[in-house]
Amino acid sequence: MAIRVNPKLINELETYGAADVQNCYHCGNCSATCPFSKEPFVIPRRSMRHLQMGLEAKLKGTLEPWLCYYCGECSQQCPRGAEPGETMMSLRRWLTSRYDLTGVARLFYRSWKAELVALILVSLATMTAFLVMGFGIGHGSLGVYAGAGALFPDHLVHLLDLGLAALLASVLLTNAFRMWWFTTGSNRNLHISLWLYVKNVFLLPYHFLTQARYRQCEKKLPWLNHLAIFLSWVTMEVLVIVLLERLHSAETDWAVHAFGYLATIGLLGGTAYALLGRARKSETHYKHTHPTDLMFLILIAGAALTGIVQHASYRWLGLDSVANIAYLIHMMFVIPLLAVQIPFSKLSHLAYRPLAMYLAAVHADALTSRQAGAAETEPVRLAA
Amino acid sequence: MEEIKIGVFICNCGTNIAHHVDLDAVLEAAAAMPGVAVARSYRYMCSNPGQEMIARDIREQQLNRVVVAACSPRMHEKTFRGACRNGGLNPYLCEMANIREQCSWVHSDRLAATEKAKALTSAAIRRVWHHEPLESLTAEMCPATLVIGGGIAGLTAALELADAAHQVYLVERTAALGGNLARVDLTAPHLDSARDLLTERFTRVGENPWITLMLNSELQSLAGYVGNFAAVVRTKSDDDTVQERKIDVGNVVVATGYKEFNADRITHYGHGKLPNVVTSFEFEQMLRKGRIETRDGRLPQYVAIIHCVGSRNKEFHGYCSRVCCMTALKYAHELKSANPACYVSDIYVDMHAFGKGHEDFYKHTSEVKTLFLMFDKNERPVIRMADPSDDCEMLIEVNETLSRERIEIPADLVILMVGMEARADSGEVARLVNISQDKDGWFMESHPKLDPVATTTDGIYIAGTCAAPKDIPDTVAQARAAAARILGKIAKGKIEIDGVFAEVRDDRCSGCRMCNELCPYSAIEFHLDTKRSQVIPAACKACGACVAACPSGAIKGRHFTMEQLHAQIDGVLA
Repeated sequence: MAIRVNPKLINELETYGAADVQNCYHCGNCSATCPFSKEPFVIPRRSMRHLQMGLEAKLKGTLEPWLCYYCGECSQQCPRGAEPGETMMSLRRWLTSRYDLTGVARLFYRSWKAELVALILVSLATMTAFLVMGFGIGHGSLGVYAGAGALFPDHLVHLLDLGLAALLASVLLTNAFRMWWFTTGSNRNLHISLWLYVKNVFLLPYHFLTQARYRQCEKKLPWLNHLAIFLSWVTMEVLVIVLLERLHSAETDWAVHAFGYLATIGLLGGTAYALLGRARKSETHYKHTHPTDLMFLILIAGAALTGIVQHASYRWLGLDSVANIAYLIHMMFVIPLLAVQIPFSKLSHLAYRPLAMYLAAVHADALTSRQAGAAETEPVRLAA
Repeated sequence: MEEIKIGVFICNCGTNIAHHVDLDAVLEAAAAMPGVAVARSYRYMCSNPGQEMIARDIREQQLNRVVVAACSPRMHEKTFRGACRNGGLNPYLCEMANIREQCSWVHSDRLAATEKAKALTSAAIRRVWHHEPLESLTAEMCPATLVIGGGIAGLTAALELADAAHQVYLVERTAALGGNLARVDLTAPHLDSARDLLTERFTRVGENPWITLMLNSELQSLAGYVGNFAAVVRTKSDDDTVQERKIDVGNVVVATGYKEFNADRITHYGHGKLPNVVTSFEFEQMLRKGRIETRDGRLPQYVAIIHCVGSRNKEFHGYCSRVCCMTALKYAHELKSANPACYVSDIYVDMHAFGKGHEDFYKHTSEVKTLFLMFDKNERPVIRMADPSDDCEMLIEVNETLSRERIEIPADLVILMVGMEARADSGEVARLVNISQDKDGWFMESHPKLDPVATTTDGIYIAGTCAAPKDIPDTVAQARAAAARILGKIAKGKIEIDGVFAEVRDDRCSGCRMCNELCPYSAIEFHLDTKRSQVIPAACKACGACVAACPSGAIKGRHFTMEQLHAQIDGVLA
C-alpha cells in the first residue's frame, strides 16, 4: 500500500522550530558522523527524509529523534545547511505534542505567548493559593517562617507537593504510554516478547540517572552540564517532596542541607552556562533558541535565586518576613515550571528520553532475535 | 633507375622499445638488407637531434629512401616526413615501422619481440623500395558558407561568419527563425528570457548584408568537396510555388537541432488522455501566456514534475538529454513565484547539475521548498485519478529510492520532462551532406573530444543539438567553434590536399560506376561525356574501397600500390 506524501507537514514543523529541512539532498554525511546512527536506526537522515515527504505516521512512530542528543556534528558536516540537528530538536517538540493527549503541548510549542500566559496564570494561581493557605486556612503570620504560626506550614506545603507530584506523574505516565503505543505497541512488524521488556528494564533508571548515551557524543561538556542541571534538580525534588520537614527544621541539618547547597550550585552554574551559550551561540546546539528553551532556563534560574534569598534570609539573617516573601516568589517559579513544563513542554523529556533508550534496546533485541531465527529456518544462500 | 639507398633509423624510445626488443639485433639485420646504406639507432628519434640525424644522413649519404622504426605513424609520421623534407627528400619516400604500439608495448617475450621488430622493419624496408615521390595538391576555397537550420546554433554560426564579412546562406525549413528555443519562456539557471536571447540575433541577422536568409527552404542536394560545394536549395513560396536555387559554398554548417520525445509513447503517464498531464513544451506555452492553470481553469495546488521522460531508460533512449533537470528546476521556481502557496514535487532519477551555476540553482530550488523525490531509472511512476474525496486531482505512485517507501504523490498538474531525440529526417540530412550518425541518430563528430564540431567529411561541420543533446551555452560554443574552423580555412584561401588518394586510369575504366556507389565519401564523379569515373582528390580519404572493387583494375591507390603492399607482405614473412 502506497503512503501518501504530504508536502504540508514541513510547514507545520516550522512552527516547532524546524528550518531548512528542505535543503537536504541525502548525501548521508550527517548519519556518517552521528555516533548513534547504527542498525536498526538511521539518525538523522531517515527522519529528515520522512519529514521532507510528510510521512506523518512514520514520524509519529519513530524513536530516532529521542536517540539524538544534539551534539551538532551533523549540522556542521551538512554541505547544504539543512540543520539536521535542529530538525531532530524540533521533531522532539513535535513528538511531545503528539504524545500529549490534551493538545496543550501543541498550543504551547506553536505559540510561545500562550505558554507564557499559562506560566503567568499558574504563577498567579500559586500566589493566590499560598496566600489563602497562609493567611486564610493556617492563620499564619508574615513574620514567622518556621514552627508554630508559620505563614506556610510545612505539612500543608508538603501535602501540596505530594498532590502535584501525583498529578504530574499520572499525566506523564499517560503520555509515556502513548509514546510506547505509537512507537512500539501499534507496530505490527515488531514481535517483542515479554522477556525482552523485562531484560532491558534496568535501562530506564540507568539512563534516567546517568544520561549515559549523551556521554557518547564527541564533546563531553554539554553532557556534564546537562547532568549537573538534571541531578541538581532531582536532588531538589527529593529534598522538597520527601525531606521537606527536615529541610525546614529550625536547626541546620547538614546531612540534608549539604545536598541543597550542592544542588543550588549545580542549577545556577548549569543554567548560567546554558544561558550564556545561547546568548553567544557558542555551540551548534545553542545556535537556535526556541522560546520554550529560554522560559525553561529562566524558570530554573529564578527558582534557584529565590531559593537562595529565602534560605539566606531565614538561616543567616533571621529575616523571617523576607524569607516568607522570597519563598512565595520561589514557589511562583517552581510550580509553573513543574505544572506547565513537565506535562506540556520541554521538561517532559525527562520521561521520554529514558523510555526511548529502553524501547530502542528492546527494538534492537527484537530485530536481532528475529534475524537469528530467520537464519536458522531459512536455507543458507550462496553469495551471487 | 637510380640506385636505391635506404637509411634505416631505429628509435629506442627511451626504454619503451629498448627494454623489450634487442635493438642491436634489429639494427644488424636491417643493415644487412639489400639497398640499406645507413642503419642507426638513437634514444629519441623524434627529438631535434634525431630529426637532424636523418636530414644530415640524407644530404651526406645521398639517401633516397628513409625507414624509421619507432612508434605508430599516427604519432610521428608527420614529424619524420618533415625531417625528410628538411633533408631535401620527398616526404612520401619515408616509411615507418611501428615497433612500439604493435611490438614492444604488447609483448613480454624479448626474443619473440625482437623477431617481430625485425620482421616489421624488414617489411618497411622492402616497401619503401617501391615508394614514389608524391606531391600534395591545392584547391581554391570558396568563402561562402551554407548554414542549415535557423535555431540558436545556426543563427550564431551565421552571425559569426557574416561579422567577418563572408557570405552566408542561412537556410531554415519553417517560416520563422528561432527553432526550439523560440518555444521556451525563461532559461535556466539565470532565468533570462529566451525571447530576449533570440530577438537580438533576429535583428542582427536581418540587418547583416552578408547573410542571405532563406525561410521555408530545404537543402535539396549537395555536390562537390570542401571549398567547392554546389548546393541546391528549394524554397516554397506562400502560393505554394517551389523555387530551386543553386548556390556555391566552401563549407557547410549543419545545425538542424532536435525534436522532443513523444510523451504519448509512455502510456502509464496518460499524456493525451488525462487532461492535466502536459509535456514540458506544453507547459512552456502556459508560461509564455502567463497563465498556469488546469484545463478547467483552476490554479493547481499540487504540481508534479516527472524527469527523464524518454531519456535514461532501457525502453526508449539510454542517454541523458542534459537540459531537462535544470528546466525542471526552472519550472519549480516559476511555479513558486507565480503561486507561493503551491506545492511542487520534483520526481527525478538523478539530478544532473553539471553546468556553471547549476548546483547553486539546484540548492535555491530546494530552498523554495521543492519536494525532491527519487526513483529508479528503469522503473516508472504511474499516474491515476484520485478519489473525489482527495484534495487533489491525480495521484502518482512510485517507489521512492531515498526513503525506500512506495508512495503516492498528490498532483493537480503533471509536467513531463520530455527528452531530446534526433529528428525523424536526420538520416536524410546525413545522406545529403554525407556524414555519419551514431546508434541514436545523432550526427557523428570527427573526434568526440579533440574535434567535436568537424565531421569525417571535410568542409561539413555540425553544431548544437543535431550532434547530441546539449544546453544553450554548449550549443552556442559549438556554433562559434564551427564558424572559427571555417574562418580559419577561408583565411588560408587555399586548401591543401594530401598526395595520397586514388586515381582512375581512363584507358582501363569501363564506366561501370561500381566505385561511384561504393565510395563512402562521395569522392568519385562520373563524367557523362567521357563515360569514365574520376576521383576528386580533395574528397578522397584513400580508404582503398574503390581500388579493391574495380573489376577492371583501373584504380590505383597512390602510396598503396600493389607492388608496395606485396613487398611489405614479403618483408613481414621473410
